[in-house]
Amino acid sequence: MARAIGLKLFAALAAAIIVLPVIAVIPVAFSAHSYARLPPEAWSLRWWAAFFADPTWFAALIVSLEVAVLSAVACIVLGTSAALGMNRLPPVARKLLAGVFLGPIIAPAIVLAVGLYSLARSVGLVGSLLGLVIAHTMLAMPYAVLNIGVSLAALDPRLALAAAGLGADRWRIFRTITLPLILPGIAGGAVFAFVTSFDEVVLAIFLSGPQVKTLPVRIWEEIRVEYTPVVAVAATIMIVLAITGAALGRLLGRVRQEARA
Amino acid sequence: MSTVSFRGVSKRFGVSEVLQPLDLDIRTGEFVSVLGPSGSGKTTLLNVAAGFLAPTQGKFFVDERDITSLPPRRRNIGMVFQNYALFPHMDVGANVAYGLRVRKISSAEIATRVARALQTVQLEGWESRAIASLSGGQQQRVALARAMVIEPDILLMDEPLGALDRQLRKNVQLEIRRMHLRAPRTTLYVTHDQEEALVMSDRVTVMRSGRIEQIGTAEELYHSPANTFVARFLGESNLIPGEVIDVASGKARLSVPGLERPLVGRAAAGVAKAMKAAAMIRPENIRLRPGGLHGRIVERVFLGEITAMRLVVADGIQLWSRLLGADVPQTETMDVGWRDEDVSILPDEARSK
Repeated sequence: MARAIGLKLFAALAAAIIVLPVIAVIPVAFSAHSYARLPPEAWSLRWWAAFFADPTWFAALIVSLEVAVLSAVACIVLGTSAALGMNRLPPVARKLLAGVFLGPIIAPAIVLAVGLYSLARSVGLVGSLLGLVIAHTMLAMPYAVLNIGVSLAALDPRLALAAAGLGADRWRIFRTITLPLILPGIAGGAVFAFVTSFDEVVLAIFLSGPQVKTLPVRIWEEIRVEYTPVVAVAATIMIVLAITGAALGRLLGRVRQEARA
Repeated sequence: MSTVSFRGVSKRFGVSEVLQPLDLDIRTGEFVSVLGPSGSGKTTLLNVAAGFLAPTQGKFFVDERDITSLPPRRRNIGMVFQNYALFPHMDVGANVAYGLRVRKISSAEIATRVARALQTVQLEGWESRAIASLSGGQQQRVALARAMVIEPDILLMDEPLGALDRQLRKNVQLEIRRMHLRAPRTTLYVTHDQEEALVMSDRVTVMRSGRIEQIGTAEELYHSPANTFVARFLGESNLIPGEVIDVASGKARLSVPGLERPLVGRAAAGVAKAMKAAAMIRPENIRLRPGGLHGRIVERVFLGEITAMRLVVADGIQLWSRLLGADVPQTETMDVGWRDEDVSILPDEARSK
């Protein structure tokens, strides 16, 4: 009994260490003070008003959303093609290629950032939306390929044979059989890609410019000058969007399991 | 509906020859089973017919038209898979309609034909059911409806009853048979279940190691198997090894060590003087005959309407006899005999290889 309680305490402590620093930022966003302090003694929405009144904050939020959505779209289009192609390879070649696709996860972000920065500079993509989208697509692609690959591997190859036997050509089989059945994997990949891009900061610092910067980069710039509660507002927005994304991913996973049953 | 011909079809994967060059002709509206153990090449044969596999050599004809290199979608085949391969994200109606939609048929006609197909498999009005909500037997019937609704030239079935339990399998067997008799369609049916093959087929093809061992009606295969493999594979049989004394006018005499008199029976093709062979007698043909061969009963197996008995008739020679309950002796021994026309002298596959 005592042991069970001890275990629960330990688990609660571990959870607190993980969660507290993250949620600590939320009360600050609703503080009435002009500096960040915990706990706030007076509450207000003034920093929310300030966030949306400052065009640089709002622009950064829009850029972040644009980059995340475009990267997610690029990831699922390219990721689906890659997963379909890999699915047809012999096992050894498939594993080798899967290793290559994991590269961006394994490589240190700062190394990727330096490499991408020099590349982007030579083609004039630093400080452009396109540059950020390409970088984040590369970073998030492994998650898309993995997710879609898992869905494809679970697909009974005889379904495609059955459709072919009934007269369907390749495109029709893809459109009516393969695509609808791997859709949960594609959606999961999209969510992963969106969240990966949305909270990415290392590549974004290198590739952002005066006109185009993402929300994490804007936070980074602000905090180097002064920690005002408006930073907490930006952070709170990011937390909410990230949790929404993760919840959506879980929901899709459950839909997929029910479709199997 | 069409005639189907395999001419010299073979298939090789790397070094293993899964199909040795073989010929098989199926008549219009004929139901032919391909029966064999796993690894006999029967599914490969079916995949060649469907166009899922290209033969290494040989040609495949439908109505005397060479369609060896035609892709599956241009072949007008109806295929039923062992796991049914129903589309899980579509309802019953959409599954059955799939092949008709591909053929650009008007939706009014599709609805009519789907309804008729479901009626044929006794699932009338089940269009909007989800696939996951169906039992195995029901899924199997949807798969059958989906394959038949497109009016295929050939119906190909790959162990379609393999996943059903025994009682259901028996019912569906008879159902498929009746459906076939009502509207005959050229059918190639792959199975490893001898009973299934016997119940449903016009003719049965027995395969082993990529070769056809024998083709014939169920009666022909049962009463006149070509060799000991076919005899063993179809039904129960007593196989008594010996050596051929002579062959004359379709009859052979076999000398069996331990038996005073030689066994006489129909000589199968390939049986020649002085070769090793086996006499086959079905257990139901080993009957009580007072004064016949004296046998000691060493085992009794009650099978309901009949009882099977294992007899030792001589040193190293055992026979199974199957008698109706009323005929079963309660003694420890019984005298048995058989008619010469119930004996087949077969090349012994095990030893000639």
